[in-house]
Amino acid sequence: MRLLVRRLLGEPLVHFLLLGAALFAAFTWRSEHFETGSKSIVVTQGRIDHLATTFAATWQRAPTQQEMDGLIREYVREEVYVREAMVQGLDREDLIIRRRLQQKLEFVTEDVAAQAEPSNEELQAYLKAHAATFATERRFSFRQVYLNPERHGVNWARDLDRLLADLKQAGAKANFAALGDPIMLDHEFKETSAGDVRNAFGEKFAAALASLSPGQWQGPVESGYGVHVVFLAERTEGRLPPLEDVREAVRREWADARRVEATERFHQALLRPYSVTIETPRAAGRKQEPAGAQQ
Amino acid sequence: MKVNFIALGVVALLLAGHVVAQEPPSPAALKKQAERKPDYSPYPDQKFPTRVFWGDTHHHSSFSVDAGMMGATLNPEASFRFARGEEVVSNSGQRVKLSRPLDFLNVSDHAEFLGLPDLLREADPTLVATPTGKRWYDLMQSGPVGANEAGSDAIFAIQRNEEVIKDAKMTRSMWERVTAIATKYNEPGKFTAFNGFEWTSAPGANNLHRVIIFRDGPDRANQVVPFSAFDSENPANLWKYMANYEQKTGGQILAIPHNGNLSNGRMFALADMLGNPLTRAYAEARSRWEPLMEVTQTKGDGETHPFLSPDDEFANFEKWDFGNMMQPVTPKTKDMLQYEYARSALKTGLKLEATLGVNPYKYGMIGSTDTHTALSSFDEDNFFGKLPINEPSPERWEEGLLFNADKTPAVAGWMIQAAGIAGVWARENTREAIFDAMQRKEVYGSTGPRITVRLFAGWDFQADEVEAPDFAAQGYTRGVPMGGDLKAAPAGKAPTFMVRAMRDPDGGNLDRVQMIKGWLDAKGGVHERIFDVAVSDGRKIGADGRCTTSVGNTVDVPNATYKNTIGDPLLSAYWKDPAFDANQRAFYYLRVIQIPTPRWTAYDQKRYGIKMPANVPMTVADRAYTSPVWYTPAK
Repeated sequence: MRLLVRRLLGEPLVHFLLLGAALFAAFTWRSEHFETGSKSIVVTQGRIDHLATTFAATWQRAPTQQEMDGLIREYVREEVYVREAMVQGLDREDLIIRRRLQQKLEFVTEDVAAQAEPSNEELQAYLKAHAATFATERRFSFRQVYLNPERHGVNWARDLDRLLADLKQAGAKANFAALGDPIMLDHEFKETSAGDVRNAFGEKFAAALASLSPGQWQGPVESGYGVHVVFLAERTEGRLPPLEDVREAVRREWADARRVEATERFHQALLRPYSVTIETPRAAGRKQEPAGAQQ
Repeated sequence: MKVNFIALGVVALLLAGHVVAQEPPSPAALKKQAERKPDYSPYPDQKFPTRVFWGDTHHHSSFSVDAGMMGATLNPEASFRFARGEEVVSNSGQRVKLSRPLDFLNVSDHAEFLGLPDLLREADPTLVATPTGKRWYDLMQSGPVGANEAGSDAIFAIQRNEEVIKDAKMTRSMWERVTAIATKYNEPGKFTAFNGFEWTSAPGANNLHRVIIFRDGPDRANQVVPFSAFDSENPANLWKYMANYEQKTGGQILAIPHNGNLSNGRMFALADMLGNPLTRAYAEARSRWEPLMEVTQTKGDGETHPFLSPDDEFANFEKWDFGNMMQPVTPKTKDMLQYEYARSALKTGLKLEATLGVNPYKYGMIGSTDTHTALSSFDEDNFFGKLPINEPSPERWEEGLLFNADKTPAVAGWMIQAAGIAGVWARENTREAIFDAMQRKEVYGSTGPRITVRLFAGWDFQADEVEAPDFAAQGYTRGVPMGGDLKAAPAGKAPTFMVRAMRDPDGGNLDRVQMIKGWLDAKGGVHERIFDVAVSDGRKIGADGRCTTSVGNTVDVPNATYKNTIGDPLLSAYWKDPAFDANQRAFYYLRVIQIPTPRWTAYDQKRYGIKMPANVPMTVADRAYTSPVWYTPAK
């Protein structure tokens, strides 16, 4: 343990706080449980206070003297058993204890990651480094006139040409709401995000809209419903919002990334002094059969 | 309940002042508005729902025993990330992403042993200090076979209603974990993360499950903990819990039953859970707390059954038709079916309303997944299964899930339906707006595709209004949307309907739109009838209201492709009930049928280069069901 701690101390990658936490854990561990060889049990005043506090938390009152004696007796009993069990190595093959120990150390890391409150600068830096995640979507203001192929039959090409010509001539002033075929979508969309355009018109249309040049009627633009003649009034590129607008989301993603990163780093740091040899590859576990049904 | 706007007519539209979004105005408020000076612009008062938001109300993560102890490792963090459109790595280690993000998600983990799998993984000291906890922990650590045994144990304990692990602190801390995660991902205007859970009552393995949704955030939801089947298996007590919640916190809550098809005649029955005949109080409570039912999901489609609807050629669809959830299953008999399916339940409701004065089965309809993988998937070409063992693999189609007494599978993997999804008509993407739409039943269910469908019912709609630009404004002003009520027909009038449907922009064309009517006759008999109201490709609808020509089929099964050369992208209809009797209770709902497309089994065959037996369906006519409009005669 001491060797490990010394290695960790020399490991620049390990975050200062994590190290502090690990040291604390190691220290607590050592002082409470590691002197299994010693045959002296000292119930310190600190321990007695702790027993009393725990009792009070459950019963909402301080223990009586008699109860206190009982608590101390139980504690000594527990301590003797724990030490003897450890001397006999009972802790080593116990899955619960092993998993619990692993988890305790993991929780320390995760807790540190979770509790560290990011500074404005850290959030700002995270926001910049992950611009694609937080940037607002590209937005479109456009008008559209729809032609339903089912309604035009053999006159399809002619009707489309006429519509396009009429709209081009009228330009921005076209009375577009009165033209084309009915559809359950508005004629005019203002400041609509690329995602909403896609949800309303489908993939193909959304992709085409992105490449239109503003200021004129253009078409045909295909969608899942048929074709549209489109006047793109304005395209607003996505931008990185100020931190204040997305603070909660940045904080959430920062904390998540931080947790994953801290756990992994800690794991790697712990692993470094060890050499791991795998003697035989484990056979793949059999696929499990479902036995119960609830759902 | 939707206010009847008829008397106010167009005047209300033009003169009305501020109308609160999502809530129909009170008559007093309308009167006040009518006294105001008219605005020039007609748009300020268009506060009606303008678009459909899509989501999943029924979803399990590793926090549910039958997910987390059966191989699901993804917790609700992954649930929300995936629903928001992010790529995640599935429980079986496969990269997966939705074709399009969802707008909302209710993570509804089972209340019974909530979070137990994760607590076991964490070796929670309180839990492993109990004999059962210790046993399950050891089993889970011993490998997949042991883990499966532990999972089955826990599931059977729930089925036998034995609360073998009970710790109030543990439940509270898990519930606070659940609501904290929802809080983290709820972004009003962008994505709605509901607080919710599932109450998993199944006496005798007959499914009475309900999904619970809170309208509220953690400030209110954390004042209670989930109500479990250990607290009571009786739905009446669930409703009491819900009433207490509202009273205690001032919040709002609703319940959605699902899988009547696995209830062996218990879900929409003529008796309550204890076998007593239904009372008015029962009907009031049920209709108050359960505005919606889940009509379609992975465990089969629940609209109707060929035995109940012999004249319905679309009725034999994705059926799970064998019995309940007992292992081995208790087989069902034909007489149970009428109490299991949505259409039949709506009919029973009319009958009960006539005798009790209140309709206990006045259900709007939604679809949802009931996924147990923390991944809400419902697209045929991107289906990640129901349980972790049904995640994509060359073998998943033949995995047995429930078994008959003779050990043959009652359900094999291929029977799982890639479904469903809930469409909600609202103005904005917030907990409040979406919950309110559910409460007023302005919602519908789809088996997967994001089909847009709108329905208005009134007394004086005209055929030429259906495609007019102010269709919705007129619909709300002079009628009611899906989920609404028509009452006391004006003399000589029959209900008129405006219907519009639009295919999924990235999906298949539409075959047809059907109006499904159910009614109660003077002698107390219930009936149903299907009217095709709009059909594609210029096909004809006969005098009997039916189109008998099939839309055809473009599916290339070996290549798992189809073409939109048949069907129409848009369908609309004006329909007036030709057989209306003002003295008869009735309901009307729409069913929109998509053209046949490859079923998920066809994509599996193609992608894994395997061959499934001939009894496995390879094509599917996906569909949407709207909430009904009800007609009630004057007393």
